[in-house]
Amino acid sequence: MAACAKGLPKCLFSLTLSRNPRLRNQRFVSTSRCRRAPAHGSEEPPKFSPPPKPVIIDKTQTAASLRKFLSPEFIPPRQRTNAIKFAIERKDMIHRRKVLHIPEFYVGSIMAVTMADPNASGKINRFVGICIQRGGKGLGATFVLRNIINNQGVEICYEIYSPRIQQIDVLKLEKRLDDNLMYLRDALSEYSTVDPEMRPGPFSPTGEVTVNKIRVRMRPKPWSKRWERPKFNIKGIRFDLALTPEQMEHAQKWAQPWLQYDMLREYDTSNLEEQIFNEVQQEMSK
Amino acid sequence: MAAWSCRLLLRRGTPVLSLRAAAESPPRMVGCIRSVNNTTWFDEHLTEDNQEYMRKSMAQEYRRQTADRLNPLKDEPWQRHEWTQGSRRVGLVAIKLGMAPIWTKTGERHVATMLQVQDCHVIKYLSKEEFDGHTAALLVGGRNVSPFHKSEVQMEMFRNAGVPPKQKLTTFKVSDNALIKPGTPLLAAHFRPGQYVDVTAKSIGKGFQGVMKRYGFKGQPASHGQTKTHRRPGASGPGGDPAKVFKGKKMPGRMGNVFVTAYGLKIWRVNTKCNVLYVNGSVPGHKNCLLKIRDTTLPTRSSTLLSLPFPTYFTEEEGDLDEDLYDDNLFIHTDPSLALT
Repeated sequence: MAACAKGLPKCLFSLTLSRNPRLRNQRFVSTSRCRRAPAHGSEEPPKFSPPPKPVIIDKTQTAASLRKFLSPEFIPPRQRTNAIKFAIERKDMIHRRKVLHIPEFYVGSIMAVTMADPNASGKINRFVGICIQRGGKGLGATFVLRNIINNQGVEICYEIYSPRIQQIDVLKLEKRLDDNLMYLRDALSEYSTVDPEMRPGPFSPTGEVTVNKIRVRMRPKPWSKRWERPKFNIKGIRFDLALTPEQMEHAQKWAQPWLQYDMLREYDTSNLEEQIFNEVQQEMSK
Repeated sequence: MAAWSCRLLLRRGTPVLSLRAAAESPPRMVGCIRSVNNTTWFDEHLTEDNQEYMRKSMAQEYRRQTADRLNPLKDEPWQRHEWTQGSRRVGLVAIKLGMAPIWTKTGERHVATMLQVQDCHVIKYLSKEEFDGHTAALLVGGRNVSPFHKSEVQMEMFRNAGVPPKQKLTTFKVSDNALIKPGTPLLAAHFRPGQYVDVTAKSIGKGFQGVMKRYGFKGQPASHGQTKTHRRPGASGPGGDPAKVFKGKKMPGRMGNVFVTAYGLKIWRVNTKCNVLYVNGSVPGHKNCLLKIRDTTLPTRSSTLLSLPFPTYFTEEEGDLDEDLYDDNLFIHTDPSLALT
């Protein structure tokens, strides 16, 4: 409250408000504020400067307890490209992230995306769905959202850095047992339906992300892909209800057990990830 | 052993004919038999710290040479002329970095190739008479490389220009009012966004390829009785009247690794800090290959509206440009999201 004498009557008024129990539950709003006549020297009224924004410092969370997350499109693929190309692209990505808040999300999270669409009424298009795939690196990174609307499965692939995207919200942040949920196309429709009016759930920036260990029931075969084969390495399907043990054994014929020992396929990104994470955090906090 | 004998012979000035024999017998030539290929690289027999030192000192030397060249006081530049209708200016040599998406202000997505102009210098001036009798030419080089694999003729040229040896040398036909002194560096700001360019490079080599991949022939059906014929060329021409196969008949052979030009590519963005050009669409060649970029020859895309730096962009003259120059239609990522109305 104002400390100067000008505000003193208002102070007294507020004190009476807080002491009187009847008046406490009512709201008194004054739209005008009585002003003194301006001082002799000044011709114009004093310039309105908005009050400073309150800085919220959450003392319960230290920097160490916050969850470290680097979006996978920042990690460059193992190629013979010059590192300058990735550095320039990363700068552009950070510029875009400063304008549009791109939240942390994983495959299996439920998200809502609003995009500018010239053909939609109100020019804005909102879609809610479950994220089934994250692909691409750099500026061309994409994610696919799936939902079932009026008994029709709909999948939309959004480019994360497209300028037409107005807002991305994560309604439920969670992970699943797999990195790629394309098998939801062959699963029962209850697993892909998401309520379009869903409200955002609680978000905690500390601690591990919950893993939803749900195992999905499938429609009868044929499926769009042979999900039982070891190359897909899917853990989130109830194969015991869909296939016989003989079929499961037959699928193991396509196993390549030597792949895990192949040293040329190793791509250790831990150092790179740390470097890039520090760089991105620094740039974003500027 | 064989290597040493090879060097001894070279030092004495005698031609290298038989090397194996020379090791055993006295240096009288027995007759040319076989040549032993014993190439070595300059730091094969050096210790590790010597190798490090060599690399560092070479890099320092190159930087010093380039820095000298940028100083206008040390050597006077040539006479600068104004741009007139019909004058041609130099091009650049650049390296293909990779591709990235770009968006316009109307929300359309295009792809662009990023080309980095690295150590591009003018090497030599060839007058009208020296070159072809009609137009003058300028030799331009790109990307510094070690001098140990360059011939003496080339090294002489680089020494005269006062510039480190370059990997690629190209000629640009240039009008007389756009001549530049050998040794001047060429930067990415030579091109401006909104302009159209032609890019020439060697396409990716595919090796010996069949007629379906090379020329897009349809081949034959996979089943319905075809005997051992699915990707063959089929007939090779008309019958008994010519009774021959015409020259130039499309047949299997080596594909790729030839110079290909992509015409009329728009420049969307120029990064003056890292010397990177964003060029619309795709460009021939693999990643990190050297390309030749010049202003378009297409008559419908040559713009007189843009004031392009003539004969080239000099840092001292034109002063500071922004770090990034964008085309008018390009969406810049620092702007707020598009609201299409």
